[in-house]
Amino acid sequence: MRYVLGRLGFYVLAGWAALTLNFFLPRLMPGDPATALFARFKGRLSPEAVGALRDAFGLTDAPLWSQYLTYLAHVARGDLGISVAYFPAPVSQVIGGGLAWTIFLAGTAVVLSFAVGTLLGVAAAWWRGGWVDTVLPPLFAFLGAFPYFWLSMVMLYVLGFQLRLFPLGHAYGDDLTPGWNLAFLADVWRHAALPMGSIVLATLGGWMLGMRNAMITVLGSDYVALARAKGLAPSRVVLRYAARNALLPSVTGFGMAIGFVLGGSLLTEIVFSYPGQGYLLVQAVRNQDYPLMQGIFLVITLAVLGANWLVDLVYVSLDPRTREVAS
Amino acid sequence: MSGAGAQPTGVGAWWQAIRRDRKASLGAALLAFFVALGLVGPWLVGSPDALVGIPLQPPSLAHWLGTTGQGQDVLAQTVVGTRVSLLIGFGVGAAVVLLGALLGVTAGYFGGAVDGLLSLLFNVFLVLPGLPLAIVVAAYLPAGPATVAFVLVLTGWAWNARVLRSQTLMLRQRDFIAAAVVGGESHLRIITRELLPNMTSLLVAQLIGSTVYAIGAQVGLEFLGLGDVSGVTWGTNLYWATNDSALLTGAWWTFVPTGLCVALVGFALVMLNSGFDELANPRLQLERAWRGWLLGHRHPPTRSTPVVNVPPQVPRG
Amino acid sequence: MAEPGAPAPLAPPGPAEPPLLSVRDLSVDYVSDDGPVRAVDRVSFDVARGEVLGIAGESGCGKSTVAQALLRILPPPAVITGGQVLFEGSDLLRLGEAELRAVRWRRLSMVFQSAMDALNPVLTVGEQLADTLRAHGAGRARVRERCSELLALVGLQADRLESFPHQLSGGMRQRVGIAVALALEPALVVLDEPTTALDVIVEGEILQRLLELRRRFGFSVVFITHDLTRMLQICDRVAVFYSGRLVEVAPAVALRESPRHPYTQGLLAAFPSVHGADVELGSIPGAPPSLRSPPPGCRFHPRCGQVVDRCRTEEPRLSALGDRRAAACHLAR
Repeated sequence: MRYVLGRLGFYVLAGWAALTLNFFLPRLMPGDPATALFARFKGRLSPEAVGALRDAFGLTDAPLWSQYLTYLAHVARGDLGISVAYFPAPVSQVIGGGLAWTIFLAGTAVVLSFAVGTLLGVAAAWWRGGWVDTVLPPLFAFLGAFPYFWLSMVMLYVLGFQLRLFPLGHAYGDDLTPGWNLAFLADVWRHAALPMGSIVLATLGGWMLGMRNAMITVLGSDYVALARAKGLAPSRVVLRYAARNALLPSVTGFGMAIGFVLGGSLLTEIVFSYPGQGYLLVQAVRNQDYPLMQGIFLVITLAVLGANWLVDLVYVSLDPRTREVAS
Repeated sequence: MSGAGAQPTGVGAWWQAIRRDRKASLGAALLAFFVALGLVGPWLVGSPDALVGIPLQPPSLAHWLGTTGQGQDVLAQTVVGTRVSLLIGFGVGAAVVLLGALLGVTAGYFGGAVDGLLSLLFNVFLVLPGLPLAIVVAAYLPAGPATVAFVLVLTGWAWNARVLRSQTLMLRQRDFIAAAVVGGESHLRIITRELLPNMTSLLVAQLIGSTVYAIGAQVGLEFLGLGDVSGVTWGTNLYWATNDSALLTGAWWTFVPTGLCVALVGFALVMLNSGFDELANPRLQLERAWRGWLLGHRHPPTRSTPVVNVPPQVPRG
Repeated sequence: MAEPGAPAPLAPPGPAEPPLLSVRDLSVDYVSDDGPVRAVDRVSFDVARGEVLGIAGESGCGKSTVAQALLRILPPPAVITGGQVLFEGSDLLRLGEAELRAVRWRRLSMVFQSAMDALNPVLTVGEQLADTLRAHGAGRARVRERCSELLALVGLQADRLESFPHQLSGGMRQRVGIAVALALEPALVVLDEPTTALDVIVEGEILQRLLELRRRFGFSVVFITHDLTRMLQICDRVAVFYSGRLVEVAPAVALRESPRHPYTQGLLAAFPSVHGADVELGSIPGAPPSLRSPPPGCRFHPRCGQVVDRCRTEEPRLSALGDRRAAACHLAR
């Protein structure tokens, strides 16, 4: 329990760090966004609108600490400012729709990749020298060396464009209306297959190699030797004694990997015009829409922190040593 | 992870490790090829910016890798891009390991409050998602390779710091360090003369890993347009390819060669690292020797200790 | 420790009763890139039914290797390169995986040196006892009962079944290790330095408990340790190892009173008795030889105070000296 609360405290701290970073970035960098915006919208914005913009950015004339508190209050309310590219829509509204798609895509991909990669790692370590151990690691290492989005491009080109097996983009067909029916859900999966597939292929190798190496270490431990000596069935030795323990370092790494995979998936979304945060991010960058960019950064960071905390909860259930102080 | 077993002494041991392992040899050769390409390549091909032909031509004898959406030679672009991409990759990789070593070893060596504070810093940086952070910071800075390098170091140093910190913590407890401290050696001397030399295999592995990260992340940022889009690097090549709708016009040659280069370099580095794996983890080396010996005696590797009858040893005279 | 000077007398096995375990010319090599290193060289010894045999020697002399070789659980790069291990009518070295699994634990079990490392950190004590029983066909109802019984045998409360290894002290974990080893009532239990990591008092209690169990159930014990004093207290016979070879075997009392091999003499001088007159603490000069390039002839000759020319060239074979004693020394005839 203490461990879990301790971790929560850490994530709150990290979230605060991200917020503070967000606050200071525009104030540290050369030029302030409002002035840059004014230059952009030259002649198209009334002075009142510019004033409103500056207020919306929090760039008032109040002292710094007061601006900071106002900023924190706004964020707590869910007010992330106003988007420049989609002016006058608030950032939270712009982000809102896309968030679900990003979580669906990246979340499912990361879980699938972890599950399959870990199982393959167990197989590789148990049947050392077998084909799973000799062929797959270099193959996936090679696939993993490609940038995610490049793999996406290739898969899109070959499987989508040339062979026409999968759709070329978006989350669902234009002709369908969203709803919880089978036809729509099936279409969503069809559209998700390529982007998800490319993320899984690119990240599988890492999990596999990590699990394999952890397994090899664990298989050399005394408790595995004892398990074998006790005459336990090989399946039990490999699963409940070896894999169960080798899984722990992978789970620890999972939390960190979430952030990494999420970053990569943003780029993948761009290739497939997937209506998630990635597409919005690229628009934000090109239009110098700082509020939107920072809003996306914040939302993604909070999502990653939340996911990390969930992973910690899972870890506690897996490793009894974290549960209470030894008596 | 890697243990601080007997560290290889001298370049000879590293070279031997490469030669002994097939994967590492392949990796080294591949890497050497790309470095050579980066060094002398640009003088062997035409200008990457010149408009040399009709846009979006497939590979032909005139242009081995075809032309881009604007009519530039893809081969020239790929080759010229090698230099900057590798430079930034190796540079950032080294910087990240240096910074990580500086902070990580300090944290692990001094312990206490210093460690507590630094560890918190590492963990916060590790948990913040890298690419979004990089994008947000880079967006406020002028576009170009310096910015890219800066944000990559900013988002990448924490991992190395943490790994090197744990290794330092482990070594710190060993007797030879305690003896040096008691003997009155200065901290700096202990760190540089006793600690770091025992971490060489880990540092090399980190360097290789960081370079792989740097090259891949750099390409990602440039793909988004945060690099210098008028410059020629692998990442900007991909940026322009998407901009000119390469995919949807079927012009695969505008993005495939670049991606292949990135992957091959990354792959080469990973293969090289796997050869050093054995140096770091002696168990792997022993297992390999064991398997080879059994093969020579026509016995399958069994789970239980194998029984292979060999003729009695002739006592050494 | 309350154990009296001599171990409880057992009727020595009659001439007609075959030994429970008979090791003949066992050799174990460790393979490496520079060639194999012989860690155990043509070792032969017997263990009678109900006997406690001790195996003594310095670190690295091969005693743990022999123990694990009996169960064939040595990890790579170990290879057994010769000999026979005859146990209850079959040669364990010739058995296949399935047959080995039937023998392991049911007839022949082991207590590892460091119980902390030998217990799975993510399973409770109860689960680790139970899976041993279930793997050999025990029914559900019986399993729970039997687990409590086993804990009681080693002096632990039944509620410890729900504990994880990290929640127990070193001594308690070692007791669990013994309970696991006795779960299937084997005929032979090998103890590989079972108390090295424990303090003296806990060590005494655990060995006491173990001997009581042995008296009750009648299993044989092979007790491996470098603590010669302890060994002489509890073993019937002692085998002394040096550099991968067996150099002397004798009943404990006889070994203590009249050791025949110079190495044994040196060892005993290094472990003086607490009772009795003050004697100078002896030690053996030099260090054990490298197994990769051992000295020719007798491996102990570079450190031996009684060396003669023959020792340098001719390997002494283990020869019987009467009274169930044997020694590998040219001078011990």
